[in-house]
Amino acid sequence: MSKNTLNLDTSGLDELINKLKKLEGDVKGAVTDALEQAAQTVEEDTREAVQPQYLPAHGKYQGKEKDTEKAIVTGAKATWHGTTAEINVGFDYSKPGAGGFLITGTPRMKPDKALQKIYKQKKYMAQLQADMGAVVSDYIREKMEGG
Amino acid sequence: MEDALITLLSTLKYPVIRQGGLAQSQAYPDTFITFWNNDDSEHSAYDNQTASAEVSFDVNVYSNSPANTYSVLKQARDLLKANGWIITTRAYDVASDEITHTGRGFAVAYLQTQNL
Repeated sequence: MSKNTLNLDTSGLDELINKLKKLEGDVKGAVTDALEQAAQTVEEDTREAVQPQYLPAHGKYQGKEKDTEKAIVTGAKATWHGTTAEINVGFDYSKPGAGGFLITGTPRMKPDKALQKIYKQKKYMAQLQADMGAVVSDYIREKMEGG
Repeated sequence: MEDALITLLSTLKYPVIRQGGLAQSQAYPDTFITFWNNDDSEHSAYDNQTASAEVSFDVNVYSNSPANTYSVLKQARDLLKANGWIITTRAYDVASDEITHTGRGFAVAYLQTQNL
């Protein structure tokens, strides 16, 4: 399976969750939505990043089977472990493909720039975290204001 | 920071190469280290000036001896840690172009406050 996961920890929000329950709010549902929307974004960006124009040698070694593209985690669903929800993103390493090679590179091949932006640079992940936070806080605000 | 990283890793007496820097025709050394600069982000600012930057690298060890792959990786990690670098991921497997060699890597960051 994928070794990249996104997660959101809701511990410390117990009081708020209970208040929202009285207002028929579903914070868990909002967090699940936030994670699944973020995973969808990662999936689309990863799919774009493995298109020939972004690959080393412009996809010359991609092969007709497009195993790397097929190994992208698609339609991932969030799972809950106590107060933490998580979701798999990236490449499913149990399938054939060069996702791992492309992210880390090899001594003879530089890492792939488009995938590096997604999986290795702080800015991309920080933006995802901010987007997930906005989905949850918008939902809470809406419920609190009687929406 | 790249120069500082190379200087430190070179004290282990193995070749230090940028990831992807080995030519297709060039043979893998028995044991060697590669690095790649993943990110260089502003960490803090004061009075509209950068006060610190977080510079992150992947460091990988490749060897035709699996035992060396692990032990040199640990040496590199310990060396960087002792010199103020922050280990953000301890270890993971990395792909080798050569079936004779195994590779392991770790992620490391440095909080740069001078020469920004």
